[in-house]
Amino acid sequence: MEKKKLTVSELKNIRQEFQEHLTVRAGVARARVIIHMGTCGIAAGAREILNAALKALEESQSKDVIVTTSSCAGLCSSEPMATVEIQHEPPVKYINLTEEKIRKIFKEHVLGGKIVKEYALATGSETTA
Amino acid sequence: MAYRANVLICGGTGCVSGGSFAVKKALETEIEKRGLKNEIMVIATGCQGFCGEGPIVIVQPDGVLYCKVNVNDVPQLVEEHLLKGRPYKKKLYTSPVEKAPIPALKEIPFFAKQRLVVLRNRGLIDPEKIEDYIAVDGFAALAKCLTEMTPESIINEIKKSGLRGRGGGGFPTGIKWESCRKAAIHRNVEPVVICNADEGDPGAFMDRSTIECDPCAIIEGMTIGARAIGAKQGFVYIRQEYPLARERLAKALEQARSYGLLGDNILGTDFSFDIKIVQGAGAFVCGESTALMASLEGKVGEPRAKYIHTVEYGYENRPSCLNNVETWANVPPIILRGAEWFTSMGTGDVSENPWGGSKGTKVFSLAGNVNNTGLIEVPMGITLREIIFDIGGGIAKGKKFKAVQTGGPSGGFLPESCIDLPVDFDSLLEAGTMMGSGGMVVADEDTCMVDSAKFFVSFLMEESCGKCTPCREGLRSMYNILDAITKGKGKEEDIETLQEIGEVMMDCCLCALGSSAPNPVISTIRYFKDEYLEHIRNKKCPGKVCKAMIIYKINSELCNGCHACTKVCPSDAIIGKQKELHRIDVQKCIKCGACIDVCPQEAIYKE
Amino acid sequence: METIKLKINGFEVEAYDKQPLIEVAEKLGIRIPTLCHNPIIEPYGVCRVCTVEVRHGRRVRMVTACNYPVSNGIEVFTDSERVIRNRKMIIEWLLGRCGNVPVLNKLAEEYGIAEPRFGRGTDNCILCGLCVRVCQDIVGANVLGFFDRGPNRYVSTSYDETSDLCITCGACASVCPTGCITIEGLQEGIYKEMPMGPITPIHIDFMQAVPKKAVIDHDSCINFKTGGCKVCVDVCEAEAIDHSMQETEKEVDVGTILLSTGFKLQDGRELKEYGYGKYPNILTSLDFEVLNNANGPTGGKIVTQDGKIPKAIGIIHCVGSRDKKYHEYCSRVCCMYALKFAHLIKEKIHDCEVYNFYIDMRCFGKGYEEFYNRLLREGVNFVRGKVAEISDATLDKSEEGKLILRAEDTMVGTVRRIPVDMVVLCLAVEAQEDAKSTARLFGCAVGKDYFVNEKHPKLAPVSTPSDGVFIAGMVQGPKDIPDTVAQAGAASSAILSLIQQKEVETEVVTAVIEESMCSGCHICVDLCPYNAITFYQDRKKSEINEALCKGCGTCVAACPAGAAQQRNFKDVQIYAEIRGLLAI
Repeated sequence: MEKKKLTVSELKNIRQEFQEHLTVRAGVARARVIIHMGTCGIAAGAREILNAALKALEESQSKDVIVTTSSCAGLCSSEPMATVEIQHEPPVKYINLTEEKIRKIFKEHVLGGKIVKEYALATGSETTA
Repeated sequence: MAYRANVLICGGTGCVSGGSFAVKKALETEIEKRGLKNEIMVIATGCQGFCGEGPIVIVQPDGVLYCKVNVNDVPQLVEEHLLKGRPYKKKLYTSPVEKAPIPALKEIPFFAKQRLVVLRNRGLIDPEKIEDYIAVDGFAALAKCLTEMTPESIINEIKKSGLRGRGGGGFPTGIKWESCRKAAIHRNVEPVVICNADEGDPGAFMDRSTIECDPCAIIEGMTIGARAIGAKQGFVYIRQEYPLARERLAKALEQARSYGLLGDNILGTDFSFDIKIVQGAGAFVCGESTALMASLEGKVGEPRAKYIHTVEYGYENRPSCLNNVETWANVPPIILRGAEWFTSMGTGDVSENPWGGSKGTKVFSLAGNVNNTGLIEVPMGITLREIIFDIGGGIAKGKKFKAVQTGGPSGGFLPESCIDLPVDFDSLLEAGTMMGSGGMVVADEDTCMVDSAKFFVSFLMEESCGKCTPCREGLRSMYNILDAITKGKGKEEDIETLQEIGEVMMDCCLCALGSSAPNPVISTIRYFKDEYLEHIRNKKCPGKVCKAMIIYKINSELCNGCHACTKVCPSDAIIGKQKELHRIDVQKCIKCGACIDVCPQEAIYKE
Repeated sequence: METIKLKINGFEVEAYDKQPLIEVAEKLGIRIPTLCHNPIIEPYGVCRVCTVEVRHGRRVRMVTACNYPVSNGIEVFTDSERVIRNRKMIIEWLLGRCGNVPVLNKLAEEYGIAEPRFGRGTDNCILCGLCVRVCQDIVGANVLGFFDRGPNRYVSTSYDETSDLCITCGACASVCPTGCITIEGLQEGIYKEMPMGPITPIHIDFMQAVPKKAVIDHDSCINFKTGGCKVCVDVCEAEAIDHSMQETEKEVDVGTILLSTGFKLQDGRELKEYGYGKYPNILTSLDFEVLNNANGPTGGKIVTQDGKIPKAIGIIHCVGSRDKKYHEYCSRVCCMYALKFAHLIKEKIHDCEVYNFYIDMRCFGKGYEEFYNRLLREGVNFVRGKVAEISDATLDKSEEGKLILRAEDTMVGTVRRIPVDMVVLCLAVEAQEDAKSTARLFGCAVGKDYFVNEKHPKLAPVSTPSDGVFIAGMVQGPKDIPDTVAQAGAASSAILSLIQQKEVETEVVTAVIEESMCSGCHICVDLCPYNAITFYQDRKKSEINEALCKGCGTCVAACPAGAAQQRNFKDVQIYAEIRGLLAI
């Protein structure tokens, strides 16, 4: 798909538009499930986790939940990992996932709003300098 | 002006009635008082929908949610969270079901001591969507370079930042760019920029992860570099073993081209630049700059003498600016946030001399016998202790710390006495190792230093291109001596010979692979000479690793004759009837260790 | 070029900026040992034996002299303590790979290494890469390369298989410092390829060549095969070498021509019974001349193909001459050069038995018979009779590798069987293959053996029917050098007397072509025995060169249009004469 060449001001527009997609702050989605898919994650089974999450999303028929992917979260020894962001709540990082676990997380945390504590590592985001 | 954090305070009806306006005012006053006005923005938002717990305060980007905040909480909240960077526990959101709050990331030492610059977008953006990158200020630095800055001022900013090459050598990036630009102008030859993504250290995956989590950052960094030195062509030399990283980078390049962020007339200016991915076949030596360029040209990847620098005569004899992935990824934030912000992290003083210190952060892949292994980014100057014991969570299985090896296979080992050493280019070099590209392997008490040195020498021997005599033959002679020592055939004078080999190799090798190759041996002799002597004189291996010097025994008090070991022993060396004490036939035992792994009583030990 | 100053071992020396250090040191007479450096090849800097210490201000570095570019103010130490320590260890390392290589052992001796610490390896290749680089950078054949890495590195061809790209130029073997590259069948190569070809691609054709200038042989010069090399261009101080030069045709206007196109030796393979080209060690007289020459491939040593000194040599006279199957004539030169060969063989290998097989000894010249008598005294065997066949049909082990000659000895009246190590065939001299067309080109005729006929065997032995065209040497018939020189002298004086006259007498009666009648049919052009008629393409008319026309009238008789007419003998004139005679 050929897109129009950007100018500096158009770049800013894109930034604003997609900033909203990145945070669950504004109306686009209520919750975001981020599956961490670096080489380490994929090797540990992140693709199955992603598939399970997508299937769970499909089954729930929710319109306000996004399942997306991102990269390695740094703690490679605890992969596969996922981060769940619910509107107005700090993100929660889950570790050592299985398909079973992600289904439970989806049901209880994403849909039910209740953090699955036994799988959770921590809440919040990392410190950027 | 970009803000470090946003404090969102709910302005919905419920919270306003709970006093949120007063809280907002108090926050603003407090923030001003603490001098954070330029760093932190206070925003009133619409109803957050969590009215029962109001007034609600959310701190972004940390994503920490505070409930029932009143004016009295404000000074402490600001101090704890915004100043010290840890959540203000008293008003932290507590899930109604669980009583104990789930810890915030910042409370977990693994995350708490990290500072993300290169990996700033990890886990945050979708690396296959360039729009996500743009949303987090991506390409803003490039826009700034193209519209507000001259090539000279870009180079100046990088020079001022004190950024040094993250690939191992620690050469000041700004100086490299400047000489490359000068050579190109002087010779009137179009220069090229190259990204070294041929990460070959065993167990290191910094560059792979960086590309996988933020490919656009490398593209932006290289484009800025190209703008600074006047290049129109860029290459990413990436090893073939990194298919995911390559694929994401290729996608990012395609998206960048379709947005006109690469190609002709970038962002509507007269600047044109494009990047090509070139696959390496995974030879360790191709991470060396001249070998990499030879490989880029389609020749055999072998280094050449560097009396003439690659910034003048590199790829196809053109001035070539080669930096590694991490270095390029550092460029956009430096441009966007300024050199001063960058120099606020790290050690030394680079205002006069770019060699004067180590600024910014460094990504390490932490591996070996630590509890938390993984990819970490820490500010320069952090101590080894903090990395190993706080971030790494200490030594696994409760064992004792013995040594840490930094800088990849040709780095050196540091003992416990160096544990409080600040991690920066110069301190590490002085201690006999190096920063390298960021491998960090922790060894516990069960490690044999002679055997470890032998392992790395054998890796380097196999990966040496074999072009020059000292590297090819020196490593072989070192390996033979180390092998003899670990087999109990060492001689007293071997240590001296090893040292001499090391010195001659450092003097005479053609490239840095060879001249740094003796590091594992030299540093272990420097810090663990006793262990060598123990091997040579008493034929004993303190780490109980060298097979020739240990025998496997069974503790008669613990063995319950379960027969687990006899089933796995490949050489039928364990004798004993069921439910009777077992015995190991020393003649037959091949010391494979299979029995130790299966013994439920932990009755088998090495001596 | 910018000159700079530096110090080597305390001596101040001037050099140009960035000159390789080893060159500067050499200028001072300071020898820095090296194993991987060759001035004609780009420095590689891998053996590291030439490592020296360079100080610049406070900075001390160890660098390789072969590729280190010098700069102003540096101080070089080629044998400081540290340099010696490093160099010694490098030599020890190399000995650990190649313990028996002479060049290394010499270095080891020089540096007092008796027993290398890392043992003595059995390899012969020190991986200096000279062969690889010469093949890639100089020759451009890209046959050799490095394979594997680290201690397992080795030099080979692709997939370790015989390469089709190899042009057997031998450059790799010639640069190899350890001698671990050999060319298989080198002796065989010399016999097969070299005897009639050049010893090196650049050579002076033969010692008596005039002008005595070097030429490049297209077939063996590397540049014409791969476009590489050109080392000669770099070393030729006169800058006389130009590979792009092409053969050109030149037109020269001359008044007289001396034909002296020589002869060729009969192809020995035509005589199947002698097995030339089938068995080894059967040489033609010219092959033997090359082999015996001091500038030849063996330096004048008479050796067999496997390098052995022959104990018996057979020389066969009249091969192809005086033979009804081939040439009836006598080649005239064989007897005497065969005697010369026999004499030279006896001189070089005293105990070698030489057998000369002859029909008649024709020692007709001054002092020739005396030379024959001398050879009889020198112990050369003369067998009167033709050799029937040469074979390798040996009887026992002592004859292995020998050639068996069977010949009738008419003096004794028996058939003899003589085993020899080498045979020289005195092949017939023949007219050049293109003798007929050459002769035609110059308006001359050839006899049945294709030697050019002279105008008259006794009265005009150097002239031809074409005025101004003369002949000398073998082109006219077999003759030896004194006869050739005499004939050439005669021809030259005939030419000079012509030139001296400054003008040529033409025939009174010549033919002319009436242009208006000529239809341009060419018939006359091909028929004219003197090449006197030229056809002009632009006018489509033929014209007769009156200086060449002998008035033979062939064209006149043949011209279908009646355009060619004989001067003074035109048709009308003849008809008038006839009418006058008949008095009509």
